[in-house]
Amino acid sequence: MADKSSELVQGTLDMLILKTLALEPMHGYGIAVRLEQMSKGVFRLNAGSLFVAIQRLQRDGLIKGEWKPTENNRRAKYYALTDQGRKRLSSETKEWGRQVAAITRILEAS
Amino acid sequence: MSFLRNMASGLRSLFRRERVSHELEEELNGFLETATEEKIKRGMSRPDALRAVRLEHGNLEVTKEEVRSAAWESFVQTCWKDLRFAFRMLRKNPGFTVIAVLTLALGIGASTSIFSVVDAVLLRPLPFPNPQQVVTVWELSADGRRMHLADPNFLDFREQNRTLVGLAQFSTGPESVSGGSEPVRMNVAAVSQDFFKMMGVEPVQGRDFTADELRLHGTPAMIVSHGYWQQYLGSRADFSNARLTMGGQVYSVIGVMPQGFDFPAGISAWISREQLYGWGPSRSAHNGEGIARLGDGVSLKQARADLSTIARRIKSQYGKGTDINSGYMLIDAAVVPLADALVGDVRAALVTLFAAVILLFLVACANVAGLLLARTVARRKELAVRAALGAGRGRLVQQLLAESLALALAGGGLGTLAAIWTTNLLPAILPADLPRQQAIAINGAALLFTLIATLVVAVGLGFFSASRAGGWDLNEALGAGSRSYSAGSQKARSALVIGEIAVTLMLLVGAGLLGRSFLRLISVNPGLNGEHLVLATFVPTTPQTTNASIRPVQLIDSVLSRLRGIPGVQSAGFTGELPIATGFASGQFLILDGRQPPANFDEWERFTQTPGNVGDALYCVTSADYFRTAGIPLLRGRLFDERDGHDSLHVAVISQAVAQQKWPNEDPIGHVIEFGNMDGNLKPLTIVGIVADVRAEGLDRPVTPVIYVDYQQRGLSGNASPMILLRTSAGAGPVVDAARSIFRDLAPDVPVKFSTFADEMGGWLSVKRFLLVLAGVFAAAALALAAVGTYGLVAHSVTRRTQEIGIRMGLGAQRGDVLRLILGEGARLAAFGVVIGIAVSLVITRLMSSLLFGISAMDPLTFAVVAVLLSAVALLASYIPARRAMRVDPMVALRYE
Repeated sequence: MADKSSELVQGTLDMLILKTLALEPMHGYGIAVRLEQMSKGVFRLNAGSLFVAIQRLQRDGLIKGEWKPTENNRRAKYYALTDQGRKRLSSETKEWGRQVAAITRILEAS
Repeated sequence: MSFLRNMASGLRSLFRRERVSHELEEELNGFLETATEEKIKRGMSRPDALRAVRLEHGNLEVTKEEVRSAAWESFVQTCWKDLRFAFRMLRKNPGFTVIAVLTLALGIGASTSIFSVVDAVLLRPLPFPNPQQVVTVWELSADGRRMHLADPNFLDFREQNRTLVGLAQFSTGPESVSGGSEPVRMNVAAVSQDFFKMMGVEPVQGRDFTADELRLHGTPAMIVSHGYWQQYLGSRADFSNARLTMGGQVYSVIGVMPQGFDFPAGISAWISREQLYGWGPSRSAHNGEGIARLGDGVSLKQARADLSTIARRIKSQYGKGTDINSGYMLIDAAVVPLADALVGDVRAALVTLFAAVILLFLVACANVAGLLLARTVARRKELAVRAALGAGRGRLVQQLLAESLALALAGGGLGTLAAIWTTNLLPAILPADLPRQQAIAINGAALLFTLIATLVVAVGLGFFSASRAGGWDLNEALGAGSRSYSAGSQKARSALVIGEIAVTLMLLVGAGLLGRSFLRLISVNPGLNGEHLVLATFVPTTPQTTNASIRPVQLIDSVLSRLRGIPGVQSAGFTGELPIATGFASGQFLILDGRQPPANFDEWERFTQTPGNVGDALYCVTSADYFRTAGIPLLRGRLFDERDGHDSLHVAVISQAVAQQKWPNEDPIGHVIEFGNMDGNLKPLTIVGIVADVRAEGLDRPVTPVIYVDYQQRGLSGNASPMILLRTSAGAGPVVDAARSIFRDLAPDVPVKFSTFADEMGGWLSVKRFLLVLAGVFAAAALALAAVGTYGLVAHSVTRRTQEIGIRMGLGAQRGDVLRLILGEGARLAAFGVVIGIAVSLVITRLMSSLLFGISAMDPLTFAVVAVLLSAVALLASYIPARRAMRVDPMVALRYE
C-alpha cells in the first residue's frame, strides 16, 4: 500500500498533527486515525513518518507527551499541545490560508 | 529555548539509550497492536490483521530505526561507531598506522611547540591592564634612527601633549645593592613620576613614591621586585626597617611589586629618577626611555601626529643653527606599541621559524596523504562491497573521514605529548635574551591550535582519500583484480611527492642561507682576540660625582695588581665597555685644536655649525692594559702610560676609523678634542695614539669610530659597565676562583660576575644560533620525510610493475636498463620538485633577507648545493626499490598474478 503521507505538501504534516491535537490530547494511533477520518481517507500515515514528526514537534516544544492508560486498559503516550504549539498552529493556519488563497487566485486567473 | 530542549532530549537518548529505546518500542507496539485490534474488530482474522498492519506500517525494528535516525544524536552514534571501527582498522595495519601517526605527531608536535613560543612572545597581550594602550615614545633623528628622550624634550612632550594619559621616562643599569641578606649585582631602573600609574600596576605591598621622594635630593626610596623581596628580604611583611645601599645612597624600601611584574625586563628594583638625577639641560643627551599610555579612544596615529607637532616645534625653537645632520637633535617623534618595541627584531626570526615549521607540517601531511592514498586504492574493493550492500556515498565519505580523524587524533595526541616534552626542554636552547620567554607553555591557546591543526588534517586527509577512492563505479571496482591500480591515483601520489620535494627544497634553502650567514658572521674578526679572555664585571659602590670616583680607581688599581699575580694570568686590564659584551655610549665630540671650547649655548651652536668641527664616535673609558689584554694592536703613537696622571694633560687614543673620517690626509696625533657630553668632564683631550678598529656594535655591523680615554684621568663615567679583562694561558676555572677571592678580599661589598668572552659571544649569537639550529632540524626532518615519500612511491610502483619488468627482461632488457627505468621515475619526481621548489624559493627567501648576513637571499651556491643534495637523496631513495626491480626473475614475474 502506498504511503499517502508522502503526497502531503512538504511541512504540512506538522501543522495537521497540531490541528488534530487542538481538540484533545491523543496518542499516536489516535492521531493517525483522526487524520485519516478528517481527510476522508486521503492522508494515511505510516507509523515511521508519524513518530518522526511527533519526535520533532516534541523537541521543538510544540507538544508534550504523557503516559496514561487507554480506554482498553493499555498504556499509551498521550500528546497535548503546549501554549507554544497552540500559537504555532494558529499562525500556520493563517499563513496556510493566505497561501492557498493566493495559489487559488493564480490558478483561476485566465 | 527549543534548541536547548532538542539538545537535552538528544543527550538523554544518547546516555540513557536503553530506556529511550524501550519507551519508543512500547509506544510503537501500542500503536501497532491498537491498529491490529481495530482490524480484528472490523472482522479480520488475527493473522490477516497482523499482516495488513505490517504491510501498512512496516516492520517494528525498521520503524524504530527510522524514528531514531531522524534525530541528530543518531549521527553522533554512527560517528562514534565509525570512529571505533576506524581505530580497529588502524590496529589491524600496525605498519601503516605507526608510520602515519608518527609522521603526523612530528608535524603537529613541532608546530605546536613553535606556536607556543610565538604565542607567548608575539601574540599574547602584555600582563598590564589595557596593554594595547601602552606605547614607547622615541625621538627620531635626521637619518631616521630612533633615539631615547633628552630630558628637556621629555618635559615638553609630557606637558604639551593632548593624546596621552601620561608619559614617563626610565633608564636602567646594573648596580651593586647591599643591605639585604647579601650584596647583589642586579639591574635597577630609575623611573620618573607616574611610571607605575602608567603601567596600571601598583605595589602589591607598600606604596608608590611620594612627592618628597620625587624631589631632587629628596628622601631616597626604593620599590623592589617580588623576587628580590623573597630572596633578599626574607619575604618579610614588615619591611619598613629595610635599608638598602646603592651608589653611596641609603634607600628605604617603600614597596614590593606584584609577582610577574617584569618591566623593564629583568629589573629587581625601581628608584625615583627625579630624586637621583633631576632634569638635565641638554636636548641632545638621549638618556631616558619614554613610555606612555594612550588616552581612551586615541589611536596610535593620533598620538604620533600629536607628538610629531611638539617635536617639530622643539626643533624649530632650539634646533636652529645646530648641524641637524650630525644626528643628535630630534627632527620628529615616534610612537611604537610596547609589545612591538619589546619584541623588536626577534619577530622576524620567530615568524620565519613558524613558517618553517608549517612547511614541515605540510611535508608530513603530504607523506601521510601518500600512504593513505596507497591504502585507499588497495581498499577499493572493500569500499565497493560496502556500496553494493547499500552504503550511500555520504556514508562512505563519513567512514573515510572517521578513519582520517582517528589517525589525526592519534597523531595529535602524541604530538601534544611531544610538544609538552619539548616545551620543558626549550629553556635550555632558547636564547637568553628572548623577551617574554617565561610565558612559554602548552596552554589553552596552544592546545586550541593543536586541536584545529588536528581537525584540519583529519578533514583534509579524509576528503582527499574519499576523492581518490575511485569513481564509485561498482562494476569496475568489484571486477578489478587485486593488483589493479588507477593511473589517476599514481598521478596524485606523484604530485604529492613532487610537492613534498619542492617544500623540502624551500626549507633546505632557508636553513642553508641561515647557515651560510652564520658562518660568515662568526668568521668576522671582532677586532680583538677573544680566546682565553675572562671578564670580571662589577659595579663599584660609589655615588656618581667626580670627586668620589677616586675610590673605585684606587680599588681597580689594587685589584689589577693582585690579579696579575695569579699564576696563569698573562695580562689584566680595565675597561668600561667591551665589543659584543656591552653596548657603548655614543655621542658628538668637538675638535678644538687650540680654540677655546664654547662657553655657552650660543657659542656651542655656532661652533657645531661647521661639520669639520664635530664628529660622532663611541666612547670608552679604559686602561692601557686593556688594549694589550684584548689584543687590539696599537697602530701609531702611544697608549696611556704613567705620564697621564689625574692632573696632567688629558689624553685620548682613537680608533683607526676616527682617524680616517676626521683626519684622512694628516696625522691625527696632537689634535685636541672635547668629549664632555659623555662624562661631564670638559677638559680637552689630546690625541696620542691610534689603535686598530673593533666591531663595537656587533659582528653584523660596520666598524664604528671609538674614542678611548684613560680611566685614571677621567674616572668612571655613569655610562660605563666596568669590567676587568684577564688573558689566561690555560683554563678559566682556577683563574676565576683565584680572582673571586681577591675581589672578596679587597671589595667585599662589590658583587662580581665572571664570564668568558666566548660566553658573551655565545649570548650575542644565541638568537641567530637558535633560529639556525631549529631551521636546520626542520629542514633535516623534511628531507627525511621527502626521502621516505619518494621511496614509498617508487617501491609501490616497482611492485605494481613487476610483471611489466618481467616481460621486459624476458624480451632481453638488461639489469642496467631496468635500473635506469626505475631510477628515471625517481629522477623525474626530483627534477620537477626541485624546479618548482627553486622557483618558489627565489620569491620567498627574499622575505628573510633581514635575517641574512653577507650573502644574498638568492645565493647561487646555497641553491645549487641544496638542489644537488635533494636530488641525490631522492635518487638514493629510488635506488633501493630499483635494485629490487633489477633482481626480478622473469619466470617468476610472468607467472605472478
